[in-house]
Amino acid sequence: MTRLIELTQVQKVYDGGAEHPALDGVTLGVDRGEFVAVMGPSGSGKSTLLNLIAGLDRPTEGRIVVEGWDLGHAGEAELARYRRDRVGFVFQFFNLLGSLTVLENVMVPAVLAGHSRAAARRRAEDLLERLGIGSQAGRYPARLSGGQQQRVAVARAVVNQPLLLLTDEPTGALDSRSGAEVMEMLVELNRGGQTVLLVTHDPKLAARYARRVVSLVDGRVADDLVMQPAAASPGKLIRVRVQEAAQ
Amino acid sequence: MSLKYGILGLLAERPLHGYEVKNRFESLLGGSWEVNFGQVYTTLQRLERDQMVEAVGRRGDRGKQAYRLTDVGREALEEWLTRPESEPQQLREEIYVKLLLSTRLANGRLDELLAAQRRVYLQRLKDLSELEERARRDGRDDLVLLFMGGILHTEADLKWTEACADEMRQIKRKGRERL
Repeated sequence: MTRLIELTQVQKVYDGGAEHPALDGVTLGVDRGEFVAVMGPSGSGKSTLLNLIAGLDRPTEGRIVVEGWDLGHAGEAELARYRRDRVGFVFQFFNLLGSLTVLENVMVPAVLAGHSRAAARRRAEDLLERLGIGSQAGRYPARLSGGQQQRVAVARAVVNQPLLLLTDEPTGALDSRSGAEVMEMLVELNRGGQTVLLVTHDPKLAARYARRVVSLVDGRVADDLVMQPAAASPGKLIRVRVQEAAQ
Repeated sequence: MSLKYGILGLLAERPLHGYEVKNRFESLLGGSWEVNFGQVYTTLQRLERDQMVEAVGRRGDRGKQAYRLTDVGREALEEWLTRPESEPQQLREEIYVKLLLSTRLANGRLDELLAAQRRVYLQRLKDLSELEERARRDGRDDLVLLFMGGILHTEADLKWTEACADEMRQIKRKGRERL
């Protein structure tokens, strides 16, 4: 695997927060094709980390290199292009455009990236089909459940085949069943080679779906764990202790 | 739980002999426990002595004897099924004792212990989640509940481990500030 993201001694201090940097010396590498969960309590710096990698914000100190390109030295216009063409975002709230159909919502980023409407349409249709939501193409977001809307948001995020899919609590507003469907979709995209970064406070989500779990505490990397494939017979994991009755 | 009530519960469905009881009990628990046949056998004998079960027909092949539930047995089972559990909470894991001792010993390596324990819990969350998912796919809704219980307990253990680590960091920070 090749290195996609390289953070070296990244520090982020917000105005007036010099005593408590949001990120404090983070060094972290992510390879192409990985599915990494970034976990931590609120205030641990995980959203800051995501924003820096997304090019939405700049580090106070340290280097962030994505595909050999130093984000710290990029101009505003370059960063905007990077966000548009190279990064897909999925947030807790789906943020679909209510006046557009599902298909049109997914087409928007492709058109903005310079594709013709016809090409954008073809691309969006193929993608919706591949992700199993082709039947929703003509519907409006308001007619969809939260889980369906979030799956459309995922499709929209990957329509330009981004280098990186960044997701921030993507199941935060969903019930557990719909949340699982959205996560399965991310797993499926990752199987196809998509690099995924998932920010979550939920350890179950992180452990279950990501292949690697990075834990932040007080702006530092507290742990970096590669998950083992689930194996183990039930008896190795859980025991209902059965006792003989006394006498 | 007591094997006694497990057996009564299975016999409430239909009469069974010892091996059937063992096999059904293991299947009920989704492979999470291997039941010892000797225990099943002696428990059946005690239940017969206490008139909660009775033998059905004659001994069959290789001395197999089927048993069925009596009214006394059914009453005991029903009473047990509706009784909430009120035993003291069992914290069996050694981690609790290790922590209690480590906080007293000056050279206790608590940070490492907590970090390693946290990794075990994270991996367990993954493993149990997959078992839960498999049970769901197999239509074993009862086992889904069992694994869900395991997941929630593991989440609680994880939360507790993190609370301990947090506490340790605060103690260290205060120590530094005092210097």
